Amino acid sequence: MVTARRVKVGIQVLVIVLIMAFGVRPPQPLATLGPQQHVETINPKMGVHTRLTDEVEEWKIKRTLEMVREMGAAWIVEYFPWAYYERDKGAYDWSHPDLVVDHARRQGLTVVARLGYVPEWARPEGSTFSHLDPAHYADFGDFVYAFVDHFRGRVQYIIIWNEPNLGLEWGFQPVNPAEYTALLRIAYARAKEADPQVQVLAGALAPTLAPVGHPEGMNDLDYLQGMYDAGAADYFDVLAAHAYGWKFPVDDPPAADKVNFRRVELLREIMVRNGDGHKPVMITEGGWNDHPRWTKGVRPYQRITYTIGAYELAARDWDWCLAVIPYAFRFPWPARSYQDYFTFVTPEFKPKPIYREVQSYARGERGVEG
Amino acid sequence: MTGRTIALTLAVVLVLTVTSCPRLGGKEDRSLLKVQEVGVLQVGLDASYPPFEEIDETTGEIRGFDVDLARELARRLDVEVEIVNSGWDGLYDALEANRFDAAISGLVYDPWQTDRVAYSISYFNVGQVLVVREDRQTIAQVSDLQGRTLGVELGSEGDVQGHVLSKRLRDLTLRSYSTPAEVLSAVSQGEVDAGLVDAISARQFIRAGGKVRIVGEPVSDELYVVAVRLEDKALLQAINAALVEMRDDGTLVRLADKWL
Repeated sequence: MVTARRVKVGIQVLVIVLIMAFGVRPPQPLATLGPQQHVETINPKMGVHTRLTDEVEEWKIKRTLEMVREMGAAWIVEYFPWAYYERDKGAYDWSHPDLVVDHARRQGLTVVARLGYVPEWARPEGSTFSHLDPAHYADFGDFVYAFVDHFRGRVQYIIIWNEPNLGLEWGFQPVNPAEYTALLRIAYARAKEADPQVQVLAGALAPTLAPVGHPEGMNDLDYLQGMYDAGAADYFDVLAAHAYGWKFPVDDPPAADKVNFRRVELLREIMVRNGDGHKPVMITEGGWNDHPRWTKGVRPYQRITYTIGAYELAARDWDWCLAVIPYAFRFPWPARSYQDYFTFVTPEFKPKPIYREVQSYARGERGVEG
Repeated sequence: MTGRTIALTLAVVLVLTVTSCPRLGGKEDRSLLKVQEVGVLQVGLDASYPPFEEIDETTGEIRGFDVDLARELARRLDVEVEIVNSGWDGLYDALEANRFDAAISGLVYDPWQTDRVAYSISYFNVGQVLVVREDRQTIAQVSDLQGRTLGVELGSEGDVQGHVLSKRLRDLTLRSYSTPAEVLSAVSQGEVDAGLVDAISARQFIRAGGKVRIVGEPVSDELYVVAVRLEDKALLQAINAALVEMRDDGTLVRLADKWL
């Protein structure tokens, strides 16, 4: 009798434990692709740079992209680090980028893929993520081929490298537009080999006034001309430009000795001078920052009006500009610096006022000035 | 209470005592002793944030609320103060690299930084405050805003808080302005019933003769704190004790009244 009672009690305890373990467990967010969505906006050139590379949870990827669509942005730039997906030569893992791309497409967004970040096996020990010796350019070409092949029909725009005119982004080696052009030549050929329709974006140069020979980088205007001198015109379809406004208004006139939003017009002039006026430009990074103490920060209302003004400027006056994609929509976690003041949404998905105002503009409910 | 319970309680008390006491539980914390032995409290700040810290163009000296606070803290620790001007973005790095003992630079309490620095209690709250025209008596707190018009700075924390309030209060109308000064002018001219701005802007406007006053409790908190290295518990305790004294004897209020 005692044994039977113990068994009965044991079973009851087991049932309670199982209920506690599974039945009372809080529901986990269930992320599915969901129905096909479309971006509703008065300005189809609106985009925003997302930061989903290190976002692990699928529901957060989906929520980010839903909020981008709901804001009225049709384009995203997302970073796809080579080192993450080809940890060993020739062994690719596309599971995470598949999530990002498929959710983005389901939200009706056009993905612009930034490619870079050298895996350890393709660079010398002790070097940084942006160090790539010419001996390994072919390895990068293989990755570009694999990426474009895998995402054929899903990703139509790829950016080759990021800000190669900065030492930081060029493995702390002396920057060299001819070397970048050599890399571009290989990447372009392999991309077109995988998908002739894919659009290859080059440049993505950092706006900087650094003179030739400066250890930290090279003036973007000089660098672009250097690329043309090295024959880059044959190896890209679209120029990627970074357009940061720093403390200047959106309509501040461009000048070679000034970093402002319209500096991109000077890049455009160089393209025209080199017979590339038929190619479009895409602003794949840029915008304003409203950190209260950062030396290049502006007031929050300025960031809002300048950002909306930038979208409007591209739509109204820049027929050569495909999209304006400011940096950055949301970080998975705080950067703990002025960088957090570039974002439109907090890591907890709380929209900042700029999100609300841009959304209002995209819906035609407010003008540039409010 | 059983003997086992008593033993467990004693063990917990012992662990808490050991871990909270700077002189027990492993390596001795010499942070306060070091400051006292050298006789100098080195304070880091970025002198580009008036009136909390700025360089006096006439004398070239760094002055401001935080400088006075640092001096007063040092005086209460019975040491001299040395001000170290350091770039804003690198303040925490410089603190960790022992460039100075404490950072006092209009630093807002940031929970994301608490794995690298320890914060003192707050010495000033620069959060959003409700402001009304000086002669207006009908609004004493946010709940009185029902059916009113509230001015906010577009894109600011006041804007965020204003939208939160507009969902909670019936018929609250928001009106956006470009700067806190514009909000405050609109309040003083009766263009809006009230404004929501940061405490610094509000106090500076009042100090300059603006006909407005702050009512009720702050609508949001943005707490200025002193940061020290995570392991410098003894120094932190001494700073906290001094700040409590300064709060209780009115020194913090006097400093705020002097600079804001």
